[in-house]
Amino acid sequence: MGEVGRVRRVAVLVGLAAALLLAGCGKDDGAGVRSEGGASGSGAGSGSGTGSGSGLANQDLSGTTDDQQVLKAVADYKAWVVGEADGLVADTAKFTDAVRAGDLAEARKQFAPSRVRWERIEPIAGLVEDIDGAVDARVDDFEGVNDPKFTGWHRIEYILWEKDTTAGAKPFADRLDKDIASLDQQLKTLEFPPAAVALGPAELIEEVSEGKITGEEDRYSHTDLSDFDANVDGSKKLLELLTPALQAKDAALTAEITAGFAAVDKSLAPYANPDGTFDAYTALKAADKTRMQAELAGLSEKLARIPGVLGLKG
Amino acid sequence: MADNRPIVQRGTRLGRRAFLGGSAALGAAALAAGCTPDGVDGSAGPGRRLPFLGPHQPGVDTPAAHFGLLAAFNLVREDRTSLARSLRDLTDEARALMEGHLPERRDTAYPPAETGILGPDGRTDGLAVTLSVGASLFDGRFGLADRRPRELVRMPYLANDRLDPAQTHGDLLLALSADQPDTLLHALRQLMRRTRDNLVLHWMLDGYNRPDARPRAGQTGNRNLLGFKDGTANLDIDDKRLMDELIWVGPGDGEPAWAVGGSYQAVRIIRMFVEFWDRTPLNEQQKIIGRDKASGAPLGQDRETDDPGYGDDPAGRRVPLDAHIRMANPRTPETAGSRILRRGFNFSRGFDAAGRLDQGLAFVSYQKSLTRGFLAVQARLKGEPLEEYILPVGGGFFFALPGVRSTDAWLGQQLLD
Repeated sequence: MGEVGRVRRVAVLVGLAAALLLAGCGKDDGAGVRSEGGASGSGAGSGSGTGSGSGLANQDLSGTTDDQQVLKAVADYKAWVVGEADGLVADTAKFTDAVRAGDLAEARKQFAPSRVRWERIEPIAGLVEDIDGAVDARVDDFEGVNDPKFTGWHRIEYILWEKDTTAGAKPFADRLDKDIASLDQQLKTLEFPPAAVALGPAELIEEVSEGKITGEEDRYSHTDLSDFDANVDGSKKLLELLTPALQAKDAALTAEITAGFAAVDKSLAPYANPDGTFDAYTALKAADKTRMQAELAGLSEKLARIPGVLGLKG
Repeated sequence: MADNRPIVQRGTRLGRRAFLGGSAALGAAALAAGCTPDGVDGSAGPGRRLPFLGPHQPGVDTPAAHFGLLAAFNLVREDRTSLARSLRDLTDEARALMEGHLPERRDTAYPPAETGILGPDGRTDGLAVTLSVGASLFDGRFGLADRRPRELVRMPYLANDRLDPAQTHGDLLLALSADQPDTLLHALRQLMRRTRDNLVLHWMLDGYNRPDARPRAGQTGNRNLLGFKDGTANLDIDDKRLMDELIWVGPGDGEPAWAVGGSYQAVRIIRMFVEFWDRTPLNEQQKIIGRDKASGAPLGQDRETDDPGYGDDPAGRRVPLDAHIRMANPRTPETAGSRILRRGFNFSRGFDAAGRLDQGLAFVSYQKSLTRGFLAVQARLKGEPLEEYILPVGGGFFFALPGVRSTDAWLGQQLLD
C-alpha cells in the first residue's frame, strides 16, 4: 500500500470520530468506519472456477491496468501459452496415437507427458468454452464411468489402467485430439486480461492443493506428481514474467514467493526421476505430503496478494 | 478526536489488521458522548472483551464461555526461527481478535483482510484465545528438550481409553472460547491464515456450554449430555489464592523459569454412549453419578449447593462409594490438593457407523501439576461404573503458556529465548 492507502486511512479515522460523536454511542463505530472512506467500485468478484475443477472464471477477469510492466507480462504470457498449446497438440498426439495403435504400454507411458503442457496452462486454457470439461473432467462430475459425457484424458486413463486395455478408447482419443486442436486455435485469438495473469499463479497452486496433492486427479495411473510439477512450473513461469512489475511494488513479497517456490521444488525433488517422470503418488510419504500441503497453503496466501499489489482496477 | 495519527498497521507487513492508533481516543469520544462502550463493564454483548495481556493467558480463570473450540496443530518446519515466527503471528492475531482491532482496509483487488462473518463492527463476543504446547514440541526438532515442563509427557493410555491417533496429541493446541459460535470460527480462520505455512491442523472439536446467567461458585446451570449438572463443584475462579495454589505454576514449583504463570492442561475427548445411557433406569443413573438428576443435589441432600456429607456416610448408603462425584472428589483434606479447574464443553458431531450419535464431553482441565491434579483424579476414577457408558477417544496433555505481559512480547517468548 502506498501513500494512497495511507491517506485513505486517515480519512477513515476522521470519519470514525465524526460518526461516533454524531451517533453518540460507540455501538455504531464500526458502521461509521465502514461507510466512510470505503473503497469505491464493486468487489473483485473472485470465485472458484466452473466445471470440473478450479480455474479462472470469467468474473475474475474484470481487472484492468495501465502498468506497462504488467501489460508486457500479459503479452509475453500469451506468446508463451500459445507456444505451449502448439506443443500440447504434438504431445497429445503421441499419447492418442499409441492408444489408437493398441499399444497399451506406450499409451500408459505417454499419458502423463501428454498432460504436462495442459497442466502448465490450465487456468487460462480453462477459459476456452467447454474444453476443460471435455478433456480434463474427472469421473466425480458424472454419474459414473460409463456416462457418455465422461470424455478426455481421465476417461482414457480409466480404460488403460482400470480395464487394463486400449479397447474402446479410440473414440475418446479421437475426441481428445479434436478438442486440443480446437483449444490451440481458440487460444490464439483469446484476449488475455491482466487479471488472468495476476490470478494465474495462485490458481495453479490451488490446482495442486485441491487435486494433485490429494491424489484425486490421476486416481487410476497415480501420475499426480507429474501434474503437480507442471502446475508449479506454470505458476513459476507467470511469476517470472510478473517479477519486474511485482519487484517494483513489493520486493519483500516477491522474495517470499520465490522462497516459497523453492521450498515446494525442494520437497518434490526426491520424487523426480532423471527421465522427467515422477514417482507414483502412492510413493508419497505422509510426512512429505503434510509438509507440501503447508508449503502450498503458505504460498497460496502470498500469491493471492498479487492482484492487489499490482493495483489492478476493478 | 484528539489524535489524528494514521492507523498504525499492526505487526508485520502481512498483518491482517490495522490498529486504531486512537483507540484510547475512541473510548474518550464515546464516554464524552454519554455512552459506555460495549463490554468495558464486562457485560455480555458483541463488544464484550477479555483482557489479552497479563501474567496468565485468558480463557483459564475467566468465566466459562457459552461456546468452545479446540484445534490441535502439528508444525511442519523443524527450526526454531520458524517456530518463533509462528508464535509471534499467533500472538499478534490473538491479541487483535480479542481486542477487536479493526481490519486493515485494502484495495478491493486484494483478498479481504478478514472473513467478514462477524460483520464490520470489530465484534469480540468475549473471545478468549489460549495457546498450549504439547510434549512433542520438546523432542529433538527445536532444541527445547531441556526446557520441557517436568510433567509434560505424551498422554498415556489411561483406564478405559481407546485413543484414536487422528484426534490425539499435537505440537500446539489452540483453545478458543466465546459467547457466540461464529466468533470461534472467525478466530480460527484468522489464526490459521496467519500461520498456514507452518501449522497443519491435526484435529479439532467444537461445542457448547449452557452459561450461567449469574455465575456462582458451587452452582451451575450447565448440564452434560448425560443430562446431569456439570461444573457444580468446579473451582471458584474469583479465589485468586486458590488459583495460585492449584492452577498456576509458580516460581517455587520446580518447573523451568519460563513456565511460571502457565498451567498444565489435560484434554480428553470423551465419547458418551447416550442411547445406552438413555435406556438406563434413573435410579441407576443417579447412583452412577451421585447426584439427583433434576436438582443436581448430592443424593440424600436437598440442594445442589449442599455438601454431600461423606463424613457421616462412610458406607456409601446415600452416595455410593463408587459414584462419580465421590471418586472424583472425595472432599477429604488429603484430596483437596487434587482439585482441578475444568473448562470443557459438550460436543455433538454426527453419528458413527453403527448409527449411534457421536456426542460427549470435551474435557479440559487446568492444574499446576498433572500428577497431583488430573492424574490423581483419573486414578481414583479407575473402574467407576460410569466407564461402561463413556469412552475416551482422544485429547492429550499440553501446557498452557504463561501470559503475554506487554504489547511487544509474544506467547512462548520465554520458552524460546
